[in-house]
Amino acid sequence: MSNNDIYEALVNLEEKKVKQLVSQSLEKGMAPEEIMEQLQKALIEIGDRFEREECYVPDLIYSGAIMKDAVELLGPKIKEKGAEAKGKVVVGTVYGDIHDIGKDLVVMLLQNAGFDVVDLGVDVKPEKFVEAIKESGAKVVGMSCLLTISFDAISKTVKAIEDAGIRDQVSIMIGGAPVTELVKDKTGCDYYGKDAIHGLRFVSEAYS
Amino acid sequence: MPENMEKVYQERLERYKTANRNEKPDRVPLRPFAAEFTSKYAGYTAQEVTHEYEKAFEAVRRCAKDFQWDATVVNMIYVWSGLVDHFGQKYYKVPGIELDPNVGFQYFEPADEQGAFMKEDEYDALIESPTEFLANVWMPRISKYVVGPQDSNTYRNNMAWLKGGLSLMAYGGAVGAANEKLKTECGTVSCVSGPIKAPFDILADKLRGFRQVSMDVYRQPDKVQKACEALMPYLYMNAKVAADPTKQVPVSVWLHRGTMFSKDMYERFFWPTLKEIIIKLWEEDDIQTIWYAEGNWDKWLQYTKELPEKSIIYHSDKGDIFEVHKQVGDKFAISGGVPNDLLAFGTPEEVKEVCKKLIQTVGKDGGYLMDAQAIIQSDAKAENMKAMTEATLEYGEY
Repeated sequence: MSNNDIYEALVNLEEKKVKQLVSQSLEKGMAPEEIMEQLQKALIEIGDRFEREECYVPDLIYSGAIMKDAVELLGPKIKEKGAEAKGKVVVGTVYGDIHDIGKDLVVMLLQNAGFDVVDLGVDVKPEKFVEAIKESGAKVVGMSCLLTISFDAISKTVKAIEDAGIRDQVSIMIGGAPVTELVKDKTGCDYYGKDAIHGLRFVSEAYS
Repeated sequence: MPENMEKVYQERLERYKTANRNEKPDRVPLRPFAAEFTSKYAGYTAQEVTHEYEKAFEAVRRCAKDFQWDATVVNMIYVWSGLVDHFGQKYYKVPGIELDPNVGFQYFEPADEQGAFMKEDEYDALIESPTEFLANVWMPRISKYVVGPQDSNTYRNNMAWLKGGLSLMAYGGAVGAANEKLKTECGTVSCVSGPIKAPFDILADKLRGFRQVSMDVYRQPDKVQKACEALMPYLYMNAKVAADPTKQVPVSVWLHRGTMFSKDMYERFFWPTLKEIIIKLWEEDDIQTIWYAEGNWDKWLQYTKELPEKSIIYHSDKGDIFEVHKQVGDKFAISGGVPNDLLAFGTPEEVKEVCKKLIQTVGKDGGYLMDAQAIIQSDAKAENMKAMTEATLEYGEY
């Protein structure tokens, strides 16, 4: 077994092989941190391939599922260690919109990259976003939507963040099928992520 | 119907049919797919039009009159909460009940295997008999009241089938009457008849869910493919029986998940069965299909091109409509192109400018229908919708 086997298996979406290799590596005494590093590198590579349109949303979802099972095998210690590493992000689908696939994808990518995500779920009222930003001290908040009716909820959430006096503390990113640069500008957000990977990139830069 | 209204209607029908066939009518037809915009404009909440479909029909008529629409959907608020309630459907969330009264109904998709309406080991049962699977397994899962044949019957189960069936009939009858009123009161064509979904989309939207299907295509690809093949004849028949018997207005296919997959997967799971349905409808039944390409479908234009000339009306959402026109404009009529963000945030002048450009490029030789990119919801401003009409009347004549 070479050091890159786990990386290779995950990049190639070989579900059974990843599980098998992680178990074998643990048995042979490889440090969970080292395994985790390979898994995370593989996810970064999958993200890069996604950007180059060499792989697609289902691959992100499937790799996330494989990763989740692998992390389970590594045990609770590694999960805690991963979570404390990089910073906090508040994420939710805006009020009036119950769609969660895009939002969940962003949450998964952020978590796998080592961010601590406060996932507010769907149909989230502006005051809930404000409360979560205040409580977590997150430097980034991500709002998701699928419907054009959600433009209004995005504006209202930005206004609530301004009214709470915390606009300067937090960068606001938005994403979802109907969102464009124009929507970002008109609603007063800072960043429009055209897909989940762009959302991850923005958060990574904010915490770099 | 007053004589002048009959004349207006016939002119619009001809305009609509001619553009759909990718030919040059007297003017570019206005054919908006408008949802909650209509209720907001008419002064109703989303809750009111979802609970009382007559209000939804009336809201469409008001817009059709005021904005001089040539053709439109008789009711895009197609989920009636009465039907949802009678069947005990779990997958629609209704304004005023689970949602804010001012936002439209939404489809709820279970997030994981545990909640999935079809489980990962049930492909064989679906493939064996889609109808039995839907009635005996799927219905009990998506309904609060329906029980499967293995369970003891209940009063609520009987009432769900009875009241659900009666509700479907009631709504169907009301749609027929509303089509007629749209014609006689507004001179506007009810622009679409039966719906189609791609077999893969039925699997990904209503049965397994997108997240589950994303793993199935790797874990059990043969079964995914066979399931699409098994669903295909039913979806074809569904569109055929609901289509306009006079063959004047098309059916529509709402394209969902196909853009999210790789070329190999599109070729294997999505395209073959959908292609067969559309070709059969066109070649055997003389029925056109509105190819409502939600999202950006430009990367699959090479496949869409394989469809017979005039068999579809290509609706462009997030794609580059000018590129779509270049690639398939000689084969199919094209609709859409007005950005929804502009309808929400732009000025009437900006909207008019975009409409003018669409008419003068995509509509240059006919075969273009004016519409927004996506369904028009309550975010669109009335003055911008008015600008869309004005631009079409001003620049759209041939």
